[in-house]
Formats: sequence, C-alpha cells, structure tokens
Amino acid sequence: MKTAEPNSTPSKPTETAWVHDVLEPDQLSGGKRRYERCKLGKGTLILFWGLRVYVVLMICLVALSVWNTLHAGK
Amino acid sequence: MNSMTSKPSASEARVTSVSKEDVRRAHDRLHVQRHRAGGRWWMLLWLLMGPGILVMLGENDGPSMISYATTGASYGIGFFLPFIVLTFAMGFVVQEMTVRLGAVTKRGHAELINERFGRFWGFFSMGDLIFGNLLTLVTEFIAIRAGLGFFGVPPALAVLGAFLLIVAIVATKRYWTWERLVLGFAIFNLLFVPVAIMTHPVSSEVVRSFFTWSPLVGGVTVGFVVLLLSNIGATVTPWMLFFQQSAVVDKGLTPADIRHGRIDTALGALLAAVAAIATVLATTPLFIHHIDASSFQGGDFAKALVPYVGKIGATLFALGLFEAGIVAAITISLSSAYAFGEVTGRPHSMNSSFREGWPFYAVLLTAAGIAGGLVLIPNAPLVFITIIVNVIATLAMPPAIVFLLLLVNDREIMGERANKGWSNFFGIAVTVFLVLVGIIFGIITVFPHLLPA
Repeated sequence: MKTAEPNSTPSKPTETAWVHDVLEPDQLSGGKRRYERCKLGKGTLILFWGLRVYVVLMICLVALSVWNTLHAGK
Repeated sequence: MNSMTSKPSASEARVTSVSKEDVRRAHDRLHVQRHRAGGRWWMLLWLLMGPGILVMLGENDGPSMISYATTGASYGIGFFLPFIVLTFAMGFVVQEMTVRLGAVTKRGHAELINERFGRFWGFFSMGDLIFGNLLTLVTEFIAIRAGLGFFGVPPALAVLGAFLLIVAIVATKRYWTWERLVLGFAIFNLLFVPVAIMTHPVSSEVVRSFFTWSPLVGGVTVGFVVLLLSNIGATVTPWMLFFQQSAVVDKGLTPADIRHGRIDTALGALLAAVAAIATVLATTPLFIHHIDASSFQGGDFAKALVPYVGKIGATLFALGLFEAGIVAAITISLSSAYAFGEVTGRPHSMNSSFREGWPFYAVLLTAAGIAGGLVLIPNAPLVFITIIVNVIATLAMPPAIVFLLLLVNDREIMGERANKGWSNFFGIAVTVFLVLVGIIFGIITVFPHLLPA
C-alpha cells in the first residue's frame, strides 16, 4: 500500500482521536490507500488513443479555421 | 473496495498524527453530522451546497457570457433559448457523476485517472487540463479587463486588482471560507437578469421559443455552427469535471451526502441557465436594431446597450462581466492546482497551510499570474483567444467524458454507486452528441462552402 506524501505536523493525541472519529480513513491526508491500477483491454486502449488523435486533429482544424479567418480578413 | 493494494502500512490502521488539513475538514464534517442528527434538512443543504453551484456559475464565465451576448445580438429570441436549457441539462448529467465519484472514492478526477489508468494517462489528462485552463484563464482576465474598462479602470490596474483578490481569497487557507466567499461573488452572475428585464422582452415570444425551438434566423450557416459549439463550450467543459470532483473531496462529502450534492448541482444548473438566458435576452435589442456585434468584445456590449437599457443597465452588464471573469479565474486556477497535486501526489487542499501545501498554492497563483500577464501584452490576439476557447473546450470534452464514464462504471471502486442504465444512457448520449458536433465542425472547417457563410 502506498500513502499520500506525509504533510502532517505533530498533533495532540486528543486532537488525533476526534479527527479520526469524524473523518473516514480515506479523508485523512496521510492515510489514503492507493487503488490498484486496472488492466486496460485492447479495446479501451484503442479508444483512448483514438480520442487522443481526435483531439490533436481537431486542434489542427481549429488552427486551420483561424488561419482561414485571418487570411480572409486581409 | 477490493481494488485497494494489500501491502500494509503504519497509516493503514491509524495515522498517528493529523495535518491541519485534516483538522479543518473534520470541523466541517462535525457540523454536518450534528445537523444531520438534528434533522435540519435546510441547514444541511446550506452546509453541503457549494461545489455544484460554483462549478455551474463558474462556467458562466467571461467567454461564456460573451458567447451568450453574441447569440442574443445575432439571433435574438428563438432557437438558442431552449438550446441553452438543453446544454445545462447535459451539464447536470455529466456533473452529477463527479459528485458520486468524489463522495465515494474521496479522490479527485486526475487522481483517479492516475491511479486506475496509470501515470501516462494521468499526466496526459493533467497536461490537457492545465493547457486548456491557461487559455481559459486568459479569457477570464480579458473579461475582467473589459468589465472594469467600462468604468475607466486601466487594464494593468484591473488585472493587478483581480490577481490580488485571488491571492486574498486563497490566503484564507480554509476550504469553507474560500467556498462561501466565492459563492458570495458568484451570485452576482444574476446581474444579467435585471438587464434582461430592462429590455422588456415579449414574454409570449420567449415562451413560444421554448416550445417551437424557433425562429432560427438565417438557417444553418458556418457562423451558426460555431456559435452552437461556443454555447456548448459555455456549459460543458473539461475543467468542470476536475473542479467539482476535487471540490467534493476537499469539502469532505461522503456517500450519505450525494443527494444534497445532486440538489446543489441542479440548483447551480438552474441559476446558471437563468443567467445565460437573461444575457441572450439582454442583447436581443442589438439584434432587433440590426447592430453588427460580430466583432464586439465584452465592454462593447455594455456600451452598445446604453440606448436600450440606460446607463444603469449597461453598468450592471459590465459588472456582470467582471463577476463572470473573477469567479471563473478563482475556480479554474484552483482546478489546475488540484489536478497538479493529485497527479504528482503532493498535498492538494484549500485546507492546507502554506507550509504543507506550498506547491499547490504556487501552481494556483502562477496559473492566474501568467494568464493575467498575457492579457497585458500589447497587441496580443485577445479577441481571437476568446472566440476559440469555448470551441476548444467543446472539442476536448469527449476524451474527458470517456474517462469519467469508465471511472463511474468501475464497480471495484464505486460499488453500488456505479452508474445505472439511465445514467449511462444519458452519459453516452452526451458524449456521442459532442463528438458529432465536433465532427461537423471539422467538416465545415475543411469544406467551408458546404454551408452558407
């Protein structure tokens, strides 16, 4: 188990106790347990990369659109 | 939660010390628990509301309000009024999922992507977000500059003042105080409502447009599609997913609070839709009087409205623009800081002290500082940036929603709170709609003569 980077300062035992009573374990900054990484299937990876290509392509089209607009304005 | 890694640690059973962040969050949770035990429903809603209203009113930002103003000036009362309601309904469907994810997993959106899909996709999504947020932040400072410019405030002073305000709010180092202060600012988004009333819109026309989705003057043109995208981008954007989920976690919501989280989000969507429609109505006189507003910046709208709503109405419009810019600048810079902390594993809470969370605060203020600085560069293409920001936000949304849908359907982390059939139906429908609109935009960009100009 990995925990978040410690960022705590020494605190009084009574303070520690009531904070633990009020908060759920994952709500403590130093007590969060890391989730296991899920296995990405081929289909999911293709989807992720497909969307990545989609974003890059669309950004290029936005750039083209802007260039056309600026060019038409001259 | 069988997806937790099993290697034990000292902190697993009991963390021996707690941070200031934990103590502050515990105080907030104690209030919630007391009021829940006392059965005070309205008080409980007051304590638990915040992330939903902030994200929705935060997204009614500078470019969004300018987009709505351009819509009113270009098309008047008609198709776009019900369309805006539809976009906020889509926004609610998407944002509700972030409430559940945050309350159940106690992790922000970037944190979950990082843990479940790996660091590669975690850093990718953080990079996309921070880049998109930087562009959006620039437009928020443009709106701040335009809004205050109406009152004769020099650009440098407007930007500096806004930046100092962000610093002052951050300096509270307390999520609750931060949230209440920003909510106080955000409610001024409704300043557009009195301006709309001053234009005396014909109520029968307004009501008819909601039922008939018409008129649509000029039909489907390139300009119409860009404005359509811009209006979607004014309501459904990637930063909203990251912000609301992280804010839900920072506020300390648990599964028991999901119902109130939904109400909070619905209330935010309602208020934001009212403000957006009011903005369209407020600039409709420009459409009626055939005033070309295609190259208007924020401040130009306020000046052009003086003959129709008087000096007071124009002043309210300019103040509304300033509010839209400042609230969004505060929330968007925070979403960048949350994502940075979540992916790099550093403290990421508005409850952190400066000592504990200095990288978090440094990212937040650096993002705001860079954006503010860019606005002051002479001859910077500010109008161009404003126009494309909402379009880029719309185009970047499908990957973000796919991550969201996968996570919210992940039964290992969500258990019985995973998406049910209806949530998936609407979630997938929104994703398909956004991809289709993006593809249409791509086609008309490559083949601009397919549609009339």
